[in-house]
Amino acid sequence: MPHHQIRWETELSQALARAKAENRPVLLDFFNPG
Amino acid sequence: MDAVSYPQEAVAEFVSTRTVPLRIPADAQPHATNFGVRWTPTLVTLDRDGTEHHRTVGFLPPEELIASLLLGSAKCHFDAGRFSEALTEFDEILARHPKTDAAPEAAFLQGVAGYKHTHDPKPLKAAYEKLAAVYPDSPWAKRALPYRLL
Repeated sequence: MPHHQIRWETELSQALARAKAENRPVLLDFFNPG
Repeated sequence: MDAVSYPQEAVAEFVSTRTVPLRIPADAQPHATNFGVRWTPTLVTLDRDGTEHHRTVGFLPPEELIASLLLGSAKCHFDAGRFSEALTEFDEILARHPKTDAAPEAAFLQGVAGYKHTHDPKPLKAAYEKLAAVYPDSPWAKRALPYRLL
């Protein structure tokens, strides 16, 4: 079984560009920075 | 989420292959204000134009997270009028994650999408029957009550 590691984008503009190119929705996780 | 759900292989695979994952600190501006973030984790599903279609607040265990993300993706299709694609993902939720909190909403929207896709009211009645039989205590069963008369 392949091991997947989540590679998070950190910029909204880059994520939206990828979403258009890859035809996927964006999962936007607002996290607690601590 | 970092300790329990994201490290799970099934979650990591789903997030990596079915979404574009984006993490932003909850205090980062202007995004926190623009999205009205009040608590963490807040998970928002956006379409490729940046429009929000689904949101959850608080921890989700692995299967709930996958089902919720699927629901978000399906709602992107539904809201854009891509009913065939939405139906495929509502079906996936109900087939693979029937015991999750996302499932009753998926059953309801499956009926609505089926109706809007075909202009036949049978999917609405089928949604009511499924919700009444499988998810009778769900708020979505109440919302589907009028469809019993179709």
